[in-house]
Amino acid sequence: MRIQLPAISLTGVYLALVFSACEKQEPISYRIPKEERTYSAPIAPAEEKESPNTAPQDAPTSGGMRILPGMQAAVNAAPDLTFSLPEGWQDLGASGMRKANLLIAEASGNIEVTALTFPGDVGGLTANINRWAGQVGLEAYTESEIAPLTAARTISKHKGRYVRLIGSEQTILAGILPFHGSTWFFKMKGPTEATLAQEENLSNFLDSIAIEDTHH
Amino acid sequence: MKPIFKALSSLRLTVVLLSFSMVLIFFGTLAQVETGIWKTQKDYFESLLVVWSYPQVWAGYEKLYWLRIPMPGGYLIGGLLIINLSAAFLTRFKAKWSKLGIHAIHIGLITLILSELLTDILAVESKMAIDEQGRSNHSFSYLDNELSFIDRSHSDYDTVHSIPVELLKPGKTVSVPNSPLSIRTHSYYPNAQLIQGKGTVRSPASKGAGIKMNIQVIPQAMDYSENNVNAATAYVEVLGPDESLGVWLVSNLIDERFPPQMVTLEDQSWEIALRFKRYYHSFEIELIDFTHDRYPGTEIPFNFSSEVVVHPNDSGSKTKALIYMNHPLRYEGLTFYQASYSEDERTTILQVVRNPGWLLPYISVLLMGFGMCYQFALHFSTFLRKRTA
Repeated sequence: MRIQLPAISLTGVYLALVFSACEKQEPISYRIPKEERTYSAPIAPAEEKESPNTAPQDAPTSGGMRILPGMQAAVNAAPDLTFSLPEGWQDLGASGMRKANLLIAEASGNIEVTALTFPGDVGGLTANINRWAGQVGLEAYTESEIAPLTAARTISKHKGRYVRLIGSEQTILAGILPFHGSTWFFKMKGPTEATLAQEENLSNFLDSIAIEDTHH
Repeated sequence: MKPIFKALSSLRLTVVLLSFSMVLIFFGTLAQVETGIWKTQKDYFESLLVVWSYPQVWAGYEKLYWLRIPMPGGYLIGGLLIINLSAAFLTRFKAKWSKLGIHAIHIGLITLILSELLTDILAVESKMAIDEQGRSNHSFSYLDNELSFIDRSHSDYDTVHSIPVELLKPGKTVSVPNSPLSIRTHSYYPNAQLIQGKGTVRSPASKGAGIKMNIQVIPQAMDYSENNVNAATAYVEVLGPDESLGVWLVSNLIDERFPPQMVTLEDQSWEIALRFKRYYHSFEIELIDFTHDRYPGTEIPFNFSSEVVVHPNDSGSKTKALIYMNHPLRYEGLTFYQASYSEDERTTILQVVRNPGWLLPYISVLLMGFGMCYQFALHFSTFLRKRTA
């Protein structure tokens, strides 16, 4: 009997520790040294329309992006891009998250061509294609259905994929390029008929792209 | 009592338990491929029981989808091992010098298991991101979120009111500490996708980014894979002393890249945000330089390191350190490991671990090492004596 007491108390300590493992969650308040605001733009008045460049429509939301400080810096520090402009395309210049921002004015509506880059694989091919499928009114695809929508495509001397998402009204044709740990997205989106008519121009545009490459 | 005690202290039980731990580690490793390390740890090692099911990605899933294997979890095995070891130690305890090594090994093993449990319970992990030439005084969790209200009206300091997201239960009201505000949760999603809606999105939000950017929330299943971030999202109604101030959409996706969302009550205002839980420290870490070396001609990293200076808030002396693989910085009970870096290699990401029990495994290993050497030396000297005799 002399022996049992310590063993039992040790077990007790163990069980108490196991059951206290659930941390107590309570609201708290505390003071911190004055912080510098990282977002420096003036606070938008309530009625102001959100500027398209900060809107998250192109920025992948869930499914892959690591929300880490320094990411905007990564976008800013991404290598530069050169390309030649097909006829009838306007260059609106790089802005915000966009490394290139092009516009084709058509009678049926504007076609937008954008170049974006993000660190990592942004959730992978399926997640990215499904995000776009949603934008042109298509149902999400499973992994096996993705393959027929894509084709191999060389962009800036690196192996990428070319994606065609043809919706009844809107269509997205795009190049996706993994590039030294980042992913580049070259996306053309607009009314289906007019966008398909620009496919050859898009192909020439993709051929003309040269991303500054410091890795070789 | 006696037979039970005998069974608990038996060597057979030890062997059975150790076999179960091997099985658990094997299946835990299989599960990690599918559910990621964090969930596997919770399911397999920080639990009493676990049921393994046939992975969807394996061949033959159509035929074997029903296959389930129950097994004891880490806490159960660990707990029983502790009981077994202590019982064995106590029943066979003899205060003899010749047994000193055996006792040291037993105590060392018990310490090791207890230290593992202490780590599970007490260790807090977070990350700190610092830009080159920049400083940071806080780290952030990558799993836990908080709803924060920040009052920046004072010229010397900011006041943070933080509510853990675990308290965001639909319909429930929580008062914001030390402020006239309280919140009522409309809905909370542990993971969601936010997209800009077409036309006008039907949304409970009446104020802030949810309305301005016409955001549509699509709830998603929790994703535990390694490189994914769960976008915790909520619709929260903020209540003043007399009336509702509106419903805000908050999400850890709506972070510093966006203008802050403001809650205003008379002449006071707060920034409202749902963000990864922050831990503020009593010092700042400055990143002097981040270096990243690769094997020549490849993209394979062989070393990355951060040269940092720690500046305590209370004008204490600065500490310089170089953090690299297997060389963490230990400061004020925290350990800073080199964990990652940003794509442009100008921001370092340190893993910050507070683990009050970090010394125990070292003590345990020392005890066991001592025990084994002692026992070996003892037997060896007896052997030598017999030979010379």
